[in-house]
Amino acid sequence: MTGHEFLSGYPAKLMEYALAVGYLILFIPFWRYVQGAKAAPKRVAVAVQAPARAAEPRGVMAWFHVPENVHLHPGHTWARMEEDGSVTVGLDDFAHKLVGRVAAVALPEPGARVAQGEVAARLGADSKTVGLLSPVDGTVVAVNRAAAEEPGRLEDPYGKGWLFRVKPPRFAANVRQLFSGAAAREWLEGASQALAARLSPQLGHVLQDGGTPVNGIARELDPEHWDEIARNFFRT
Amino acid sequence: MNSHATTAPRSWFKENILLGMNPTDYVKSLLTPFNAVCAFICMVGVPLLVYRFYAGLGATTNLSQTQPWGLWIGFDMMTGIALAAGGFTIGAAVEIFNLKEYHAIERPAILTGFLGYLIAVVGLIADLGKPWNMVGIFTYNGTRSVLFEVAWCVACYTTVLFLEFAVPMFEWLGLKRFYQPLRKALLALTVLSVMFSTMHQSALGSLFIIAPGKLYPLWWSQWIYAFFFITAIVAGISMVIVESAISHKVFHSQFEGRHVDASALTLGLGKAGAVVLFAYFFLKLQGVIDAHAWGYVKGFLGAWWLVEMLGFILLPALLYAYGARNRNVTVVRVAAAIAVVGIVVNRLNVSIVAWDYGNPNHYVPSWMEIWVSLTLVTLGVLAFRWIVNRMPVLHEPADLATAEH
Repeated sequence: MTGHEFLSGYPAKLMEYALAVGYLILFIPFWRYVQGAKAAPKRVAVAVQAPARAAEPRGVMAWFHVPENVHLHPGHTWARMEEDGSVTVGLDDFAHKLVGRVAAVALPEPGARVAQGEVAARLGADSKTVGLLSPVDGTVVAVNRAAAEEPGRLEDPYGKGWLFRVKPPRFAANVRQLFSGAAAREWLEGASQALAARLSPQLGHVLQDGGTPVNGIARELDPEHWDEIARNFFRT
Repeated sequence: MNSHATTAPRSWFKENILLGMNPTDYVKSLLTPFNAVCAFICMVGVPLLVYRFYAGLGATTNLSQTQPWGLWIGFDMMTGIALAAGGFTIGAAVEIFNLKEYHAIERPAILTGFLGYLIAVVGLIADLGKPWNMVGIFTYNGTRSVLFEVAWCVACYTTVLFLEFAVPMFEWLGLKRFYQPLRKALLALTVLSVMFSTMHQSALGSLFIIAPGKLYPLWWSQWIYAFFFITAIVAGISMVIVESAISHKVFHSQFEGRHVDASALTLGLGKAGAVVLFAYFFLKLQGVIDAHAWGYVKGFLGAWWLVEMLGFILLPALLYAYGARNRNVTVVRVAAAIAVVGIVVNRLNVSIVAWDYGNPNHYVPSWMEIWVSLTLVTLGVLAFRWIVNRMPVLHEPADLATAEH
């Protein structure tokens, strides 16, 4: 017995075809089973299967945080009415992530007057500075010296990273020019998309791969002219 | 001036070789149970290797004229080369298919590959003897020989692996002039590595095509070269999972402050492993039908073949699938470990267990053969640890890390 003649040619071919077809039929459910990873597609699932373009806005929107009780200015600063009637001003999460770690924060002096839509503070890094618009009119009553001395505090843009406090003469009128609640999120989503459109492969894992955004997106995009990108978003 | 000139190299030596310790502290730090076991293995194994070159194969191995290939070919060469396939598998994924998230495991995979090939080559030289005759393969015009192809490809690919590994080595030595051009050449080197690997991984299988009567028919197939190549990919993927799991445990301090989601990479690799193993299972069945060998699924070798098929191919395929779907990293790692053992079993089956199955005096390796193989693996593990503790393999060099984030 040679052992190689247990099957004659035709039955062997029939078995080969049957196995091939059987494999293909079984492979479909197997593939679907393997691909249908359960829930939590935070990093892996997105990393493995590139997300559809349409799914992006929700993804990029999730990058930037905006609390309920703040009003956002189109120049990416925020205003929050405090219990004592003063209004706290800071830069929003978008601005913080756009510029990243700054070397210097220039704040107005207490007693100075600021006006809505005019430059009230400056962020500096790499020997360049960009201005920040004040979201409200008023007289500066307090300044966050700690943030000026230790710009790392801006990591918490709506908390420890507040910039200054003003006594607002016409807050009700100012607020009409600001976004809050759903409108704030909608507007930030638009800004996020504008930013997403500028993101290119050099940013690596921040967007398409589902990674979290890096701090200092503008500097990653263009180290030479990051200040221009920032000014474009800050409207200064 | 003078003191500067003498202290600078000494401090470099202390920082980079002694890991910042005094010589006495460094020697003390080496006194661990693991190192003691390794030292014992090597203290017996290295003289055995020398003895083999002095006294010959007959004195050290159970090889004979009818069984010229033994453990050093079946394990060191056949298995070592397959398990070292992670270098080209992950290299291709990152550099060619642009799956950049796997970049974090590219360097350890290349290092594993490089050391694996070195071990395989040393094992091969132990088997062949007369190392100086190795030059002959480059001058001998044996273009119709499969062994010639294997020899050329392994020599070329080991060189490519060395060049790829040279990047972290030169970074460690601070020789920017050397590592900059090599970093730029990484894509080209990866293309070469895929080419050479495809050729010799499959050619190792082709060696058995000419022996249909000698290899048990359930393992012999005219497609055995394809099986060898596919299993090399399985071995590459599985070894990277196993190696990164161990690295994370043993070298955890090197991962501090890094944001590599090892679980995500493991799950992604597990998915790939599931699909490749599943397809391989059916291809193996096809090979049996094609060789008209169903009648051999009986007796000891038939049962052993079923164990390999069900326990070391289908089982890890299903475990990989289950782990990837349920995001269970442990299951994926278990599947990888089973798959790695499965590759070892497969190569040993083809080259030793099911080889020359009709011979009543079947080959069993001598204790010296086993000890030498064990010594080579131990040396590989020690070299891996020595390099990883010093060179930027598990962590990126500072300049790349800042450039990318």
